[in-house]
Amino acid sequence: MSEEYEVPEQLYYTKEHEWVSVSDNTATVGITDYAQKSLHEVVYVELPEVGRELTQGEVMGSVESVKAVSDIYAPVSGKVVEVNEKLLDEPETLNNDPYGEGWIAKIELTNFEEDKKKLMTAEQYRNLLKEL
Amino acid sequence: MSGLKRTHLYDYHRKHGKIVEYAGFEMPVWYEGIIPEHMAVREAVGVFDTTHMGRALIEGPEAVEFLDYVATNDMKGMEALQARYTVMCNERGGVVDDMVVYRLEGNRFLVVYNAVNREKDFNWLRRHSGGYDVRLRDVSDSVVMIAVQGPMAERALQKVSKDDLSQESVGRFRCLWTEVAGFRVLASRTGYTGEDGFELFLWDVPLEKPDKALRLWNAVLEAGREFGVKPCGLGARDTLRLEAGMCLYGNELTEDVNPLEAGLRFVVKLDKGEFIGREALLKIKSEGLKRRRVGLLMLDRGVPRKGYKVYKDGFEAGYVTSGTYSPLFRRGIAMAYLSREVKHGETVQVDVRGRLCRAEVTSYRFLRMREKQF
Repeated sequence: MSEEYEVPEQLYYTKEHEWVSVSDNTATVGITDYAQKSLHEVVYVELPEVGRELTQGEVMGSVESVKAVSDIYAPVSGKVVEVNEKLLDEPETLNNDPYGEGWIAKIELTNFEEDKKKLMTAEQYRNLLKEL
Repeated sequence: MSGLKRTHLYDYHRKHGKIVEYAGFEMPVWYEGIIPEHMAVREAVGVFDTTHMGRALIEGPEAVEFLDYVATNDMKGMEALQARYTVMCNERGGVVDDMVVYRLEGNRFLVVYNAVNREKDFNWLRRHSGGYDVRLRDVSDSVVMIAVQGPMAERALQKVSKDDLSQESVGRFRCLWTEVAGFRVLASRTGYTGEDGFELFLWDVPLEKPDKALRLWNAVLEAGREFGVKPCGLGARDTLRLEAGMCLYGNELTEDVNPLEAGLRFVVKLDKGEFIGREALLKIKSEGLKRRRVGLLMLDRGVPRKGYKVYKDGFEAGYVTSGTYSPLFRRGIAMAYLSREVKHGETVQVDVRGRLCRAEVTSYRFLRMREKQF
């Protein structure tokens, strides 16, 4: 079965298959189309607590599918200012709209200039996917 | 993925399913998704390729005596075209494998066992056959096995079979030689889902020329179409058997687990005469079981998984052997071995990756919680 994965151009990506969208000093983060397709039916999402301080790369939550659980890693450092509570009742939103309604958390950036060095562009992420 | 085996139906799986590695095979974990496939079996009909499992033919004047020695369940009392679930034990009373034995004729048996134990089991059978007048033949690669499971399974298959497939004609654990879509098969009313259904055995299909198998597979799917049939992968196979409280070798059953603590007392006939492991099991029984298999129904959000520890009042009470999100009950469920001091109905805590989640200790026969309509 050949797969086509959506990789929106204007986002940043991590090798753990998270995406980041930056507006002013706030980052919105989520998991990519590749991640949701690999996991398939998401049944539970563990969200980080609002107010939590995150360091880039640390575990900030998890996504549970029928078959397996996957950790979500903070793609950037900062403070969690908002989480998508919709995912608690409608976890399938992560599958249906991973880049839109399926956003996971909003983080107030504290170290983006440094963090950016570890993030990938859409093209770099697409190349990563080709290797998988 | 190189070095991995494929069943006769791989071409279909490759085109329609998500392929993963399982027991050395490239198998479909799902086609559409675990939840829709699972629910198709519970509500209509689902079709599984189970050819990855091991199959051996055992025949000869002492076939029954031989099987009665390696298996814990009674083999002598089996009628022709009857099937029986059993385990084979080692000398310590630990489980070598669980399997279904099909008596084809007086001295001719088909044995079906787990994919992961294809080699182990055949070698075990061969090793212990020395003193018996029997012939063993590994037919795993030449007998295709397709499971058709669900409340509509009989109706779907009846469309493509001229024989009577009703319960009266071929009841649970009974077999029938019949033609399905023009192919001669052994149809047994057995399965691994907790629903009514059949397992079809198509004989003498070489791996190099699998088209007969593919044609049978497609014919069954076509017959099931009006009932909402779905092809089902290993993902749904696992969630279905877990909801049905059925064991999976490597999880609930291992060489270090005895069938008594696994709740399989009903397949251990200690009074039938000598069999491998009998002495050890008699001793275990007289000493009393320390732990036993139970079901866990999650009360908090979280999915219990294999290996997670279970606590009661701060003390470690046991561990999870299999766990999943149950599509039918829409919460986490699991099977676990717990100390006998923990009773049904009590609440325990499952360590879900560092978070203690509450679960109720129940029977592993989760399907009994369903409201049955007659």
